[in-house]
Amino acid sequence: MEKILNKIQLSDWIAALDGWESFAPILQDGIWSYQPIKRGVNSVQLEYPNTTQPPKNFTFPQREVFFTFEQIKGEAPRLTQILPTDKPRVIFGVRPCDGQALPRMDRLFNEQFADIYYQKRRENLAYVGLACNTPPSRNCFCKAVGGSPFATNGLDILMTDLGDRYLVTAVTAIGDRLIDHGVQLFSEPTGRDRAEAGQLRIAALKQPQRAIQESATVPKRLKEQFASPLWEELARPCIGCGICTYLCPTCHCFDINDEVATPAPLRGSRIRTWDTCQFPDFTMHSSGHNPRTEVGARLRQRINHKLQYFYENFGMFQCTGCGRCISGCPVGIDIIAVVNQVTATPEN
Amino acid sequence: MIKLQDIKNRARELLANGEVRAVIGYRNGSRGMAAEPAVIADPNDAANIVWNPSCVHNLALYLVDDRKRLTRKQETPTKPIAIMAKGCDARAIVVLLQENYFKREDVYILGVSCETTGMLDEHKLEQLKIRPDQFTAVEFDGDDFVLIKDAETQQRFPAREIMADRCLECRNPFPKLNNAVFGEEKARNLAAPFSALMQFEQNATQNTRWDFWQHQFERCIRCSACRSVCPMCYCEECIVDSITYSVMPDTTAEEKANRIRWIERSATRANNIGYHLTRALHLAGRCIDCGECERVCPVRIPLRLLNTKLERDARERFGYEPGASVEVASFVSSFRDNDPGNFIR
Repeated sequence: MEKILNKIQLSDWIAALDGWESFAPILQDGIWSYQPIKRGVNSVQLEYPNTTQPPKNFTFPQREVFFTFEQIKGEAPRLTQILPTDKPRVIFGVRPCDGQALPRMDRLFNEQFADIYYQKRRENLAYVGLACNTPPSRNCFCKAVGGSPFATNGLDILMTDLGDRYLVTAVTAIGDRLIDHGVQLFSEPTGRDRAEAGQLRIAALKQPQRAIQESATVPKRLKEQFASPLWEELARPCIGCGICTYLCPTCHCFDINDEVATPAPLRGSRIRTWDTCQFPDFTMHSSGHNPRTEVGARLRQRINHKLQYFYENFGMFQCTGCGRCISGCPVGIDIIAVVNQVTATPEN
Repeated sequence: MIKLQDIKNRARELLANGEVRAVIGYRNGSRGMAAEPAVIADPNDAANIVWNPSCVHNLALYLVDDRKRLTRKQETPTKPIAIMAKGCDARAIVVLLQENYFKREDVYILGVSCETTGMLDEHKLEQLKIRPDQFTAVEFDGDDFVLIKDAETQQRFPAREIMADRCLECRNPFPKLNNAVFGEEKARNLAAPFSALMQFEQNATQNTRWDFWQHQFERCIRCSACRSVCPMCYCEECIVDSITYSVMPDTTAEEKANRIRWIERSATRANNIGYHLTRALHLAGRCIDCGECERVCPVRIPLRLLNTKLERDARERFGYEPGASVEVASFVSSFRDNDPGNFIR
């Protein structure tokens, strides 16, 4: 279904969502981030660029407890699985590039090898998306990787900003349910509303974005350039932090460690945390050998994973073009500039 | 005023006549007006060198990176590497020399004075609705102004409105340790040293300070950018990564299994407190306040407040100035007879 919601009633709609925990972008401590909205306390507005961190944490938290273990004298160790027990959550203001991350993560965590922790969080999560009338960042490039500022993949609702009101378009059955919860706040869209939204969409698609040259052939050209010396040269300033991967909507590499609470009697938890292929020790083997000691190899790995390997495996780019890695890199390493340079044919 | 061409000429000369094997400097980035670090080996590429208020990076980090590369490749270069160094960067080089990370003759310092105008703070620009990625160039404009340009327009700002706090507080924007220096030594008196720290202390009591820090440490995502960008965080095995670098082919399985993990990878408040406070303590007397840790933090944790607190302690209680002189021993590896001892019981 499709409805109209006046902007001043956005907070009322959120307040009507009984049984859901609502989150929206709030400017706090100097950055935009998704914060829980206390019904009736916070008033929500969605005039914002994009959050510093993607909503990845909702399905794939930085710290996930798998199970606890306990040594009982005279018995086998007791393992207790800890499954997520979140209330259903709805996230407002999700940009289409961040919505696109869910289909990517689903391929890895929800299909052939279903991860119950991801599944439990995923089935309790809804996204109310916000279309991008203008690119939130100069480093946006969703179009270059098969996305669009009005894409609905991964979203349950897409809202279009029509100035003083939103056109609220349900994408999934959950989206319909969310609208039903506040049905008295919505009105029917007029022909004019729909026309306006259509025009905004056409204008949005024409907005300049950064471009990957000939993106359709990028997977093949990246494969051809595996041995290029440019990787090392372009990666030279890389400091080996985790910003690009941690701010990425689709990066999902992880580490698993046992955190011991008490050594005797032995008690602790098995914990999954984020890891990053950009840390120098990411590929350190227990033998001491490290196949990726040089920054060029690590940058190449990240870019190939996003734009070649994932494409070859699943038929879509893993990168959704949000631009956070470009804006966030402390030393200006720019995935678009790197891909364009490494894959440049002599004629380009 | 500094003539950029002088720096370019010297860099080109050093490379062309084989005096240095590379020049670590700044060039234009690809995402707007911000400069980016560059390692230049070809004399012709010296033409790409830039010098403007976005040259914020502490390039001493790349001296550490260079040393680690040489070790991995088991190379012993016969020529030094050159580096553009601001006042703060040169002090970082002093600390690395005090700690014998490399020898003085391994590095050729192209000192560049910030004179009266320091580096800009992108967050202060954002407060003025200037997004650095929307503009194409930024320049020094005389002693006190900065020009920010895009394809059609330019805007002029009083430098002190958009300068980084650490530049406002800087006592010495001049690279004393150098092989060549561009620009003059000029005093800068824009903010008292430790102003940001004092303001923080004035606005908070002891209890609210701890609440503040607990809140900040909960926000940390452990990207480690603060550590990765710091030239002085050069340990191959950091306290938070205690399962990694020291694994050698002859490390036994028992040693690996029993390796102590002091601080876990998970970003809980307790682990993050451990990481940040340990890092700050490990930098006491070594941090020269380049401010990079605070600049790079993606969630805007005000890390300078931690490091300058310890720097102030080093200065006021031990009379020690980090990075002042290569002849002086490093802070934690030396003592004086009149060092305060009232905490030793």
